[in-house]
Amino acid sequence: MAEEKKGRAVATSTAASIPKFVRGNLSATLKAKEEGKKVAAAFIADGQDEIMRAMDIVPAWGESFSGVCAAKRDAEKYLQKAESDNFSRSLCTYATCNIGFDMMREELGQAPEGAPWGGMARPDMMLGNGQLLCDPRFKWPQATQHYQQDVPVFVTNMYYPPWDPNGDHHEVEELYVKYAKEELHETVKFCEKITGKKMDWDRLAKTVELSDKTWDLFIDTYELRKHIPTPMDTGDAMNTMVPLTFNLGTQEAYDFYVSLKAELEQKIKDGIGVADPEKFRVIWAAGLPSWFALGDFQYFNSKGVVFPVEVTYRGCEKIERLDLPKTNDPLEHIAWRWVRYWTHWYDAAKKRPGSTPKVERIIEYIEDYKCDGAVFHSAFSCRSWHAGIMQQAATLKKVYEDIPILIMEGDIVDISSYNEADTHNRIDAFIETLAAHKARKG
Amino acid sequence: MAFVLGIDVGSGYSKAVVLEDGKIRSYVVIPSGGDYREAGAAVAKAVLDKIGITRADVARTVAAGYGGNMVDFADDTSTDISCHAVGVHHLFPSARTVMDVGAQYSRAIRLDDEGRIVNFIMNEKCAGGSGKFLQVAARILHMNVSDIGDLSLKAQKPVEFTTGCAVFAESEAVSRISEGASPADILAGIHNAMASKIVTLAMRVGLSPDYAVTGGGAMDVGLVNSISAELGTKLLVPDHPQVTAALGAALVAWQQIKV
Repeated sequence: MAEEKKGRAVATSTAASIPKFVRGNLSATLKAKEEGKKVAAAFIADGQDEIMRAMDIVPAWGESFSGVCAAKRDAEKYLQKAESDNFSRSLCTYATCNIGFDMMREELGQAPEGAPWGGMARPDMMLGNGQLLCDPRFKWPQATQHYQQDVPVFVTNMYYPPWDPNGDHHEVEELYVKYAKEELHETVKFCEKITGKKMDWDRLAKTVELSDKTWDLFIDTYELRKHIPTPMDTGDAMNTMVPLTFNLGTQEAYDFYVSLKAELEQKIKDGIGVADPEKFRVIWAAGLPSWFALGDFQYFNSKGVVFPVEVTYRGCEKIERLDLPKTNDPLEHIAWRWVRYWTHWYDAAKKRPGSTPKVERIIEYIEDYKCDGAVFHSAFSCRSWHAGIMQQAATLKKVYEDIPILIMEGDIVDISSYNEADTHNRIDAFIETLAAHKARKG
Repeated sequence: MAFVLGIDVGSGYSKAVVLEDGKIRSYVVIPSGGDYREAGAAVAKAVLDKIGITRADVARTVAAGYGGNMVDFADDTSTDISCHAVGVHHLFPSARTVMDVGAQYSRAIRLDDEGRIVNFIMNEKCAGGSGKFLQVAARILHMNVSDIGDLSLKAQKPVEFTTGCAVFAESEAVSRISEGASPADILAGIHNAMASKIVTLAMRVGLSPDYAVTGGGAMDVGLVNSISAELGTKLLVPDHPQVTAALGAALVAWQQIKV
């Protein structure tokens, strides 16, 4: 019997506006010069968003651009270009794709012909950020500087207390916040020097306030996905994360989630789910997706499997839950928000012997969103974020429940890691495992 | 009297099993070649010819495997993982961990006491724990894959490979040959390297006795011995390990017509 391919039962129309956001971010870098603005090569989730927005610095998101190249299956030429200068394929392919693009742009004096959505502009500065999430951010801007030697690089470090089941992170949290705040202050000084403008602290405070509102609204919106059937799954969420991740501190980002929330509420009212019937609910428990294979989410959906929740790109939390100390210093607020975002699962993890904060977060979502199984994606070139995935899966089984787990292995950008038939075969077997698990549970 | 047909179109070989009233009546194994659609039709014809019946005599056909979706005359498809589980549970109800060593893929499957899949894992783009490794070994030693197992049992001092990678192991094996290592010692070393990979894969789904080994790799007595030594216990090996998934597919078909 030949495989019957069904289209996606539902996709949010709000998510359909995301390409405009991404394209807008890229074209903002290209228009910056004529608008008298400076462009900063920047990285997501490192606390610098509001500083850039408050100073009218246009962020050039290398990770986003590499993801776009991958989604358009047009990354190979940039990867090969970087490889030609001895950048290994096993390095972060977000970095190598972007470095390859930068190399070509430097050689040509303009964006290479056919670059997705016109490509990205040459930056006026590079804001690296070494933090616990991603190690290439130390080296990526420095490596890029080999080709753009006149572009100044500023690398900060944003840390949070490492997990220690026998320690009390509350005792050291303030120290980490102090360090992060200093780093952010240095970032401001660097940006002031490059732009020749002084920071407008009131504007920064308002920008941070808007970000906090966006964090809250994002969570309120995503929690609607707890509904059965879920009105939106991870396939859409890999798009709807864009405003939070790349446009934090802008009114457009906030307004996007207002629209998305309204649409999800309407879908719930109308009883419209992603899959009809919704047979199994699974969590995307860790890992960046293969941007060239987002259609695999639709394959899951066509078999009645939905992802009502994902850890990936849920880069915020309800502000109230973080219990942030009051402060009038917007940089101190960002620092506290940054540290507490990571540490607020620590106390829960301590209560479950053998658990870890990352596993505790997965358990919380499994229970809140009523998931039957978990999917992990291990992207070979993203070491720092994916190295612990096997351990997380093993710990989840040990401290929680022996739920069905699918570990997919691939990459974020490098399509040579991907085999569609093989992937679908694994997904089919996983679905059969979910069915057996449900039957066993009764 | 009712016949059902199970087909497993694998990346290296296609296998088919016919059940008559739930009992194995016939089975065949043929190379898959490059056309899975053709392989499915050919293996079906071969297994049915063997007992003098045609597709018209078959009440239900279930196809599985890498090319299972290409078997357009099948009434249903299932995954090879599920079919392995069903086939192994039928043969060895006590088996809880299945290690399937196929031509291109190795799989580890953990079963519950009713033969349902608890979890599974497949090797990734690495030939280190798959039958491909044995084919590489046979090529460099100028021998048939089917002769590898017996010869490896004569090893005196198995070569210790410094890599689990089939590609690098090939050049390492060539170096050992030039240093005078015997083919038996080289093969035993390859078996040990493969066994280590396969058991590591199985550990990821959680080791739980009894252990069964299936697939073409289970026909290699040397490899089975190495896996057994690695686990420190005896293994359950079907008489015809290559057809376990095809048997499972046939049993699924049989269950479907009984319902």
